[in-house]
Amino acid sequence: MSGTTAEPAEGEVTATEEVEGHGGEEQEYTLSSRIEHLNHELSVLALWGPLEEQQAEHAEPMSVVSSSWNLGSLASNFTLTNYTFWMMPAVLLLVLFFMAARSAAKVSLAKADYVPKGILNVAEAGVDLVRGNICTDVMGPEGAKYFPFVGTVFFFVLFNNLLGNIPPALPGTGTLGTTFLWGIIVFVVYNGIGIKKNGLGRYMKSFIPSGTPGAMKPLIFLLEIVSHFLRPITLGIRLYANMYAGHIMLGVFAIFCAVAIKNFTPVGAVVLPLSFLMQVVLRAFELFVAVLQAYIFSILTAVYINGALHAAEH
Amino acid sequence: MDKIIPISVELFVNLAAFVVLFLLLGKFAFPSITKMMDERASKIRESLEKAEDTRVEAERLLDEYKVQMAEARAEAAQVIEQGRKVAESMKAEIVAKAKVEAEAEKTKAIEAIKAEKAAATAELQREVADLSVAVASKIIGSSLTKKDHEALIDKYLAEVGSLNEN
Repeated sequence: MSGTTAEPAEGEVTATEEVEGHGGEEQEYTLSSRIEHLNHELSVLALWGPLEEQQAEHAEPMSVVSSSWNLGSLASNFTLTNYTFWMMPAVLLLVLFFMAARSAAKVSLAKADYVPKGILNVAEAGVDLVRGNICTDVMGPEGAKYFPFVGTVFFFVLFNNLLGNIPPALPGTGTLGTTFLWGIIVFVVYNGIGIKKNGLGRYMKSFIPSGTPGAMKPLIFLLEIVSHFLRPITLGIRLYANMYAGHIMLGVFAIFCAVAIKNFTPVGAVVLPLSFLMQVVLRAFELFVAVLQAYIFSILTAVYINGALHAAEH
Repeated sequence: MDKIIPISVELFVNLAAFVVLFLLLGKFAFPSITKMMDERASKIRESLEKAEDTRVEAERLLDEYKVQMAEARAEAAQVIEQGRKVAESMKAEIVAKAKVEAEAEKTKAIEAIKAEKAAATAELQREVADLSVAVASKIIGSSLTKKDHEALIDKYLAEVGSLNEN
């Protein structure tokens, strides 16, 4: 269970069902009770604030969004959940990392010492990947202009994904609240770039490919609009599902280990080493997925921006 | 189903995270790092170009020095050759001069010897004539006239002279 226990949930949580879950942890080591517990801990749980209200609204999704626009409850809108709680150290680490790299860059520049070393070297490797292999390769030389945005997206996703691999932490990207919002940010930014570059009229017109028969135009336009609006959703769900599923897999094999140790049987003697092996293999695979998903998320961002930039050409 | 509906509180936290990150990283940290990278890239490009220039220059100098070296060698060889020629001609001259001088000395010596010999011959003839006259006077007494006397001398001289010529 080590990989999936949401540590902060223990102190802060006030929900009765959560407390019950912890009580049961001490006594029951049956597979089903542990999996139920895992399912609970991987669910999005508010850590403080109007918890019952949130959990209740959860059942009716539309009312959640509408109630959030009540400015009176601004503070409650910043309630952390078990996922966004872990987003904070990831963001903090990200900022500290790049601030350290920035000061190293400043010092090196002031000394005209161009030999890359230390933290700056690591940061430059990342920056070069995003700026060279994602921005410039996808968008051409002008792509470097959009590096600050794409880089912010890439490093945010990367740091969250990676932090989720350190046992008590959950990935900040393991919840749709995070990934969908970042999908929306990408959606707003790439459409904004497209409109700024082409003008609203030409940008909208680009949704209908040239040579479309007149009667088909409204349908094609509608389809294009739908496909554009699907982009943030697919971006969000792809990343969320990868991170969430990875942690479910880790959790399941960790539960196998725990149950096999607690209720030792001949079957357990076979299951335990295999589950432990899977735990190790999946850890490595999760590291790979963490980097891969960050890459996919940001390269799609670059592709969308590129499409918006050259909207008038097709 | 509730797992694929985003929870609103998470949206706001993430929006705040994006704004903070974009300002801190996108506007603040990334430019310094990309500036460093760009400056390094231009520095490396400059250095490479400079190195290439230096290499070309070095090659040019090397060629130049090779040519100069070859020229110097040829010149040195020429100087040595010339020196040998001068020495040889001087040697020949000296030898020729020495030969001429030796020849002259020899000639002079021969002439001196000839003159000595002629003088000695004349002296001897005179001595022989006087002696023979004296001998003849002793033998014949003063019976010989002046005329006979001279005829005898001449006859004798002719004999001695012919002897001398052999």
